[in-house]
Amino acid sequence: MLSLENVDSYYGGSHILHGISLAVREGEVVCLLGRNGAGKTTTILTVMGYLHPRRGTIRFKERDIGGLPPYAVARLGVGFVPQERGIFPSLSVRENLTVFARNARSGYWTLQRVFDLFPGLQARERNLGFQLSGGEQQMLSIARALMLDPVLLLLDEPSEGLAPMIVKEIVDVLKHLRGKGMAILLVEQNLRVALAVADRHHVMNKGEICFTGGSEELENSESVLRSYLSV
Amino acid sequence: MELLVAQLLNGLVYGVLLFFMAAGLSLIFGLMNVVNLAHGSFFMLGAFIGFSIFHLTGSFWLALVLAPIPVVMIGIVMELWFLRPLYARGHMDQVLLTFGFTFVFYDLVQTVWGKVVLTLPTPASLQSTVHIGLGVFSAYRLFLIGFGFAVALLLWLLLERSRLGAMVRAGVDNAGMAAGLGANIPALFTGVFGFGVLLAALGGVVAGPVLGLYPGMDTDILIPAFIVIVIGGMGSLRGAFVGSLLIGIADTFGKAYLQNVALFLIYLAMIIVLLIRPQGLFGIKYADAPPSALARTIMPSTPRTRALALIALLALIALPFGLADYPRALIAEIFIFAIFAMSLDLILGFTGLMSLGHAAFFGLGAYSVAVLGAQFGLNAWLGLVAGVLIAAAGAGLIGFFCVRSGGIPFLMLTLAFSQLVFSVALKWRDVTGGSDGMPLAMQPSFFGFSLSHSLVMYFMTLVFFVAVYLGLRRLINAPLGHAFIGIRENEARMAAIGYPTRAYKLLAFTIAGAIAGLAGGLYVIYNGFISSDAVYWTASGDILIMTMLGGAGTLIGPPIGAAAFLLMKNVVSSYSEHWLSIIGVAFICCVLFFPGGIWGAVQKLQPAGAKP
Amino acid sequence: MNVLELDHLHCAFGKLVVTDDVCLTIGEGERHVIIGPNGAGKTSLINQIGGQLKPAAGRILVSGQDVTGKPPSHISRKGVARTFQRNNLFQNLSVIENLRLALAVAFGNPLDVFSMAARDQALIGRARQLLQLTHLDGEEKCIVRTLSYGGQRQLEIAMALASEPKLLLLDEPTSGMSPAETARMVELIAALPRSLSMLMIEHDMSVVFSIADRITVLHYGKILVTDAPAAIQANERVREIYLGMAH
Repeated sequence: MLSLENVDSYYGGSHILHGISLAVREGEVVCLLGRNGAGKTTTILTVMGYLHPRRGTIRFKERDIGGLPPYAVARLGVGFVPQERGIFPSLSVRENLTVFARNARSGYWTLQRVFDLFPGLQARERNLGFQLSGGEQQMLSIARALMLDPVLLLLDEPSEGLAPMIVKEIVDVLKHLRGKGMAILLVEQNLRVALAVADRHHVMNKGEICFTGGSEELENSESVLRSYLSV
Repeated sequence: MELLVAQLLNGLVYGVLLFFMAAGLSLIFGLMNVVNLAHGSFFMLGAFIGFSIFHLTGSFWLALVLAPIPVVMIGIVMELWFLRPLYARGHMDQVLLTFGFTFVFYDLVQTVWGKVVLTLPTPASLQSTVHIGLGVFSAYRLFLIGFGFAVALLLWLLLERSRLGAMVRAGVDNAGMAAGLGANIPALFTGVFGFGVLLAALGGVVAGPVLGLYPGMDTDILIPAFIVIVIGGMGSLRGAFVGSLLIGIADTFGKAYLQNVALFLIYLAMIIVLLIRPQGLFGIKYADAPPSALARTIMPSTPRTRALALIALLALIALPFGLADYPRALIAEIFIFAIFAMSLDLILGFTGLMSLGHAAFFGLGAYSVAVLGAQFGLNAWLGLVAGVLIAAAGAGLIGFFCVRSGGIPFLMLTLAFSQLVFSVALKWRDVTGGSDGMPLAMQPSFFGFSLSHSLVMYFMTLVFFVAVYLGLRRLINAPLGHAFIGIRENEARMAAIGYPTRAYKLLAFTIAGAIAGLAGGLYVIYNGFISSDAVYWTASGDILIMTMLGGAGTLIGPPIGAAAFLLMKNVVSSYSEHWLSIIGVAFICCVLFFPGGIWGAVQKLQPAGAKP
Repeated sequence: MNVLELDHLHCAFGKLVVTDDVCLTIGEGERHVIIGPNGAGKTSLINQIGGQLKPAAGRILVSGQDVTGKPPSHISRKGVARTFQRNNLFQNLSVIENLRLALAVAFGNPLDVFSMAARDQALIGRARQLLQLTHLDGEEKCIVRTLSYGGQRQLEIAMALASEPKLLLLDEPTSGMSPAETARMVELIAALPRSLSMLMIEHDMSVVFSIADRITVLHYGKILVTDAPAAIQANERVREIYLGMAH
């Protein structure tokens, strides 16, 4: 469904991604792990079209999307949940959900289904974006991406800065989505979240992918865990 | 009591007209971060096109419906073809671009409809008067208030209750995120810009029967509309509405009961709001705009550049002997404005602060010479010394408040302060002569030679020009100048390595003000006359154009720009009436294609090896 | 006397607490590294010490003098210099001009309007020493924006060293660098005089352990533990935080 081949990406003058290749197949959850500055977020931003690759190709549903602007990528069916969540502070929760929703395609995700998935949001329906807690913002951001009826979700560190209880709730949602066959490209620093949700893992370091494998393989690779993830 | 109600009604009428302007200005700024100085032009175009449609069809209502259409089309073309390529650059370039367009539109209106004041008659159905409890009122004015409130309500519903409005608000909050959710931001920008233009054009048509139509009505409505959005808060519709009514009513009552100080008080109110609540009463906090792309490095002199400079100086000394009186006088004026432009460049090009109020210090210098001469019989040269000191003091005081901000807020604050100075020059008629101006009591001699001789005037201005050029050159190459450049390049880093940057900015502002005062004083000696026009904000805009046209961030650029501007104004205007358009187009091209100005383009032509 | 002392420091953005009752001392010549997950408040802490951010409560003492809430220029003159996580240089000026600006305020007269800044041999001599120290000799006339990314990171360090600080704040000096550039940077930092105190944020553990005398782990704005490197490596709680949810 999504494939990156030898992608090089620059942020300003600095060369961040060095020949990244990875693929997300239909219904698959793929996780990008790595420390800060490893290039995980840059990968997501490059897929979304915020950065354009200098070299290499990005294909989504058989289409080259390397030069498309973000809105065109979104309209092809990619739901984006950025690291900073990107809640519109002066819009209500309901407006945040509906403002760019694509109901015209009569997709699966309606306001009701989204509220069923995140009961907490329904209670806050009339609140403005800036009145939400960090956890609520994260849920709203995921819910808002679902309202676009995407076939692929890009999630950038959904567990960052959240209390363990809330992280667990988000993990449950991601598992639920995986059960529904949603393809997800997940960026995480939290190994537990990654192992709980993803089928395959890529570990990044300094803009390169230095490990690829399944959950079990990752868990048993003491050397990878030690050098790229833990203390 | 009846008078009071009538005044209140008039205030509401003016407030409603301001709202038509301010709503669009504010939305465009909130979403696109563009300060559209051409917004008044769309108001004016709406009024004049409405006038023509009325005369063709005889129907005011048809004019109201049809006139905005061509105006909106012009606005959309401007956004698509001219503004859009600039979004990747700093917001300052967009401000400058829209300023270039004001020249073109002004000239267009002047050419098509002439310079006389026209009036759009009140529609027949509303010519009657209405008797309500407290008195007799014009039906048209009542209609206007109702229409304005209805539009405001509609706008509010559209923005707050519709999905399209939610998209706009989402774009204002976080355009990047909206794009990631499928919002076509460029299209949204065009739509909002067109909508803002529509409101301005509508306002222009309905203003026709109230304000009268004349070239220049664009800036006359733009400046109060600016005050409205600064006070109300940029990007806020509620702020635009409340601010419009406040300013409309305050202005009407002020003119009726406080006459001369009304204008002063309104600018003062704007300054106080900017200082206490920079985001306005209802505004969102706005990010500082990055400075315009002035990618120039420090350039020390080399033997080659010194030789070229010497040749240029010898040429300037030889030049007047082959010229008649008029061109000599014209070049003398160019020298004066070159000094003025270089002084602006010290803050704009070298320190990275865009001021839209630099004419205030030119005015302080000029009026010091003229007023001290008229009131106390002070010799003009002594007056000039006093003028420089007064301008420096004024710049120090005004700068103290302005340098606390940067970017757009700095632009607004300098504009407001200069308009404060303008309001004094305009209204303190006993001393300044207001818009009629005042003459210089006695022209001084220059080392015993009479300045009435064009050659003497030429050399006098040349001496000052060369002195200021060399002085500024020294300053720029000295540690202090490098500190200014460092602030332009990266103020946060300058602070981190130990420079108290605010004090440095104030110093740059004060030196620039003093030199602008010198230029102003020389101008009075040269011209023998000064009027409040010289301190109006458009004079600040002209000097900004000269500096940018020639090439900001260099010392050679501003004199070239001053020469180009004044030659166009004086030479082209004798061949073509459209010198304003020509300057406007030249400036627009300059912003679009030569961000480094004329001198920047010349430098690019040089082979790389020849660069110092 | 301690070079730096943070005394019950508090800071918050709205409801988000980024610095929560932080107490920390850095002795003379100590090389101290702060680690912690994203959003732990590391850069906010450096910003408070550097004066870019004002703390809500608590005190910051530099060599015993209270500098809490003072502007960056004041703190810089007290002997604290810093680098930035994202390169924060004078992009359109040359390498030597960048350094001259930093040197002029520390050792020259920045208000001088008479002399030619480009001919100040004393400052230029100092600048050349700094360039040698940071392996940038030969790049003197290079305009910074054309300098390699790694070169710009090195210049960040040179700029901070220009004022001959007592305390150097380094915000992720190796971020965005290739492995080879990282190795060079570690070498460069390790070779700095031992008398210079350092407070460094770093994510690359190999860098952390090759430089740190002591390590502080920050979590949700709070200090979890401050200890010697070996003790940190063995700390079960730290491993938990780095690997994920605590159960």
